[in-house]
Amino acid sequence: MSRTMTAAAKTASPAGTAPTAKEGGRSVLGWVLHNVVWIWLIALVVIFGLFNQFFFTVNNMQNIMVQATVLGMLGLAVALPLLVAEIDLSLPANLGFSSAIGAMAYSDWGLPWFPGMLVGVGVATFIGFFNGLCITKLKMVSLIQTLSMMIILQGALLALTQGRTITNLSDGYVWIGQATIGGWPVMPFIFVIALVGVGILLSNTVFGRRVYAVGGNPVASNSAGIRVDRVKILTYTLAGFLAGCAGFLLASWQMAITSNQGSSYLLYAIAAPIIGGVSVFGGRGNVIGVLGGVLLLTIIQVGLAIISVPSFYVGIIGGVMIFIAVAIDAIRVRYFS
Amino acid sequence: MTVPMTSRSQAASDYVLRVENLGKVYGGAVALRDVSLAIRRGSIHGLLGENGAGKSTLVGIMSGQRQPTTGTIYLDGVALGHADVPSMEEAGVFLVTQEPMIIDHLSAAENLMLGIWPRRFGFVNWRKLRKDAARMLAGTGIDLDKPAGKLDAVARRKLNILRAMFSGGKIIILDEPTAALTVEDRKQLFDFMRRLKADGVTFIFISHYNDEILDICDSVSVLRDGVLAGGSEDVGSLTSAQLSELVLGRGLVLFQRERRSFADDAPAVELRDIVGPSVRVPALDLRPGEVVGFTGLPGAGAKELARCIFGLTPVQSGTIRFADGSETQKLPSHPRDAFESGIAFLSDDRRRDGAIGQMSIGANISLSSLSAVANAGFLSKEAELKLSDRYFAAMDIKAPSAEVAVDTLSGGNQQKVCLGRVLATGPRVLILDEPTRGIDVGVKQDVLRIVDDLSRTGVAVIIVSTDTDEITRAVDRVCIFENGTIARELTGSEITNDRLRGLEPA
Repeated sequence: MSRTMTAAAKTASPAGTAPTAKEGGRSVLGWVLHNVVWIWLIALVVIFGLFNQFFFTVNNMQNIMVQATVLGMLGLAVALPLLVAEIDLSLPANLGFSSAIGAMAYSDWGLPWFPGMLVGVGVATFIGFFNGLCITKLKMVSLIQTLSMMIILQGALLALTQGRTITNLSDGYVWIGQATIGGWPVMPFIFVIALVGVGILLSNTVFGRRVYAVGGNPVASNSAGIRVDRVKILTYTLAGFLAGCAGFLLASWQMAITSNQGSSYLLYAIAAPIIGGVSVFGGRGNVIGVLGGVLLLTIIQVGLAIISVPSFYVGIIGGVMIFIAVAIDAIRVRYFS
Repeated sequence: MTVPMTSRSQAASDYVLRVENLGKVYGGAVALRDVSLAIRRGSIHGLLGENGAGKSTLVGIMSGQRQPTTGTIYLDGVALGHADVPSMEEAGVFLVTQEPMIIDHLSAAENLMLGIWPRRFGFVNWRKLRKDAARMLAGTGIDLDKPAGKLDAVARRKLNILRAMFSGGKIIILDEPTAALTVEDRKQLFDFMRRLKADGVTFIFISHYNDEILDICDSVSVLRDGVLAGGSEDVGSLTSAQLSELVLGRGLVLFQRERRSFADDAPAVELRDIVGPSVRVPALDLRPGEVVGFTGLPGAGAKELARCIFGLTPVQSGTIRFADGSETQKLPSHPRDAFESGIAFLSDDRRRDGAIGQMSIGANISLSSLSAVANAGFLSKEAELKLSDRYFAAMDIKAPSAEVAVDTLSGGNQQKVCLGRVLATGPRVLILDEPTRGIDVGVKQDVLRIVDDLSRTGVAVIIVSTDTDEITRAVDRVCIFENGTIARELTGSEITNDRLRGLEPA
């Protein structure tokens, strides 16, 4: 009898007052962990700013935004195949190769710069489309197919440039990378437009809904009347297009195309959306997360440069900062979802 | 209080497994209250009860998957402190669940030996593995080299049962092992169980069917609303009616469709010359408002034909004509085409081919009707909300709101979401493949009632099912498949449980 009583008392007490406070604490912690990228971002801004007042200047903020543009465009591109539970590793190489094609269309084939640029973006879009075809119709594994495409495109860029850097770009071509309106650089606006565009596409259109469905469960999506292959091909094509635009912006900004243009972006372009909450298993993630990931990576890079960390240590400190962001996110997934 | 317990447990050492005063509370809800029962060594003990009566909770505790809130488990008369799955399996207690735990890309043989690979010098002894597996699988019709993912649901379940037996199980808990099995398979399974019983294996057998309990069990316990409603050490002394009374208590009204004859009605849909992989059906007519059951052995063509009509399986030939005066068309080549011409399909494999788990209920409901709630590719939030709310309410889905992610729902409610999705497309022909497999009795009645209501609006319904009870309750006409074609049809009063199970000649 007494045992029954204690058992009843035990079950009664947590049902009373205790859980509300506990739940409250949990939800605050959950909120913090849920927005860890943004909180970490703000913390880093403050830390870098304390080390060097220059970090807080408008000039530096503009610099960060310009730097974030190319990575941001690429991050958006990488996020699209990830959302359908595939991957495209060839996007940074596509960026470099397509921009070289665009520049050569101007310099070697005599096209005006604008149609030349469009040719470059068109080539990038077509490469994305081709990747999509290989992965859906030939059922090639995206990781390896796009890895080999990456190697092909890197090699093709080297062959095209013969190891030299292309610098004879027209004034029109390099305008957008240098231009300012009222003292503000133009480049970041392109990123904002792309961000809003992809955001609307994903959350407000039939296509976007299908992307999430295919990423969540391709078999069930097929039975639900979604042409899974078509959705995947479209995401790859769109990713190629975004990489092409990023290629134009990078070349315009740097006023040069090196023989390994874009290659250095590979790991950061993949890390940014994943840090921002895009699931590598598909079906989860949004553009705000991608923005967070891109800004976090950019601020770490710029910040470490500004506080004059000796270059030998930049790699390891930056890596640890990214590791912390990913680890906290993993803890969130482990305990709060 | 503890003293008499100990003495009793020692006295009753012929009971291999015994539970005393078992209770389980989830949150505030009592799932199990004060359940005590004992299972004799080398017997088959039946466990009956509606879904939600506490059977799953009870066997969950017995197998170490869940921890009891109160009470004690005795194994061979010894009280267990904390029991988890590995320690229970070590002791020989295995739970074989309804949902097969199988690794799709491994072969049947490898799945059978998962974790208990025969070893030689630390390496897997593949030759012995194949030999042992071949012996176990002999006569089951399972190809030992076939990837488990390519096996049908029935073969996967058999494989799962065999695996528990092979892993050295002494007490094997079978959670509805006969659901979706045919008469022949069931007989085979029962013979197999009797043979193992003679070797001293103990079974706990969960079933919904009184006749199965009466056929195979030695003793029985009935759960109702989390308490032990009754039981017997000698099943032979019980009748089916007595069992039903124990199970139902207050009495659940089982759904029964009022069968109608549609023989004189003009067909709504004419299917002709369907030839596909293991399907050959020259002609099949569906009348408006008719519910047709497709049944037969696995691979006999019932499921295969359903998938052909919906465009999931490509066909060599086959046409469909709707009675609205439209032309004869080829069968759809993709589910999208099928939905567009008014054919909707609900898959039997809810795990692989059901809802999109991480998406909300609302987004799942509208998923097959997106173009109907969009303008030029842009979703209209209001139109979508109107559609999803309508079916969220009509399906009576138990969830706080339609914003909730589907993977937080129970199996039965997930099935209702999927049903809502296909109904939202406004089909003329609705095909349901095993619509109530693995969902509880209450929801099963809901689903059958929804289908019945829908048929009254003139929709032609096909129910593919191996559950004879479901077929007899829900349909007007049964097509029995053999060798890829419709061998026989039953209508009206010819449709009985016994006849469908082959216990009575047609």
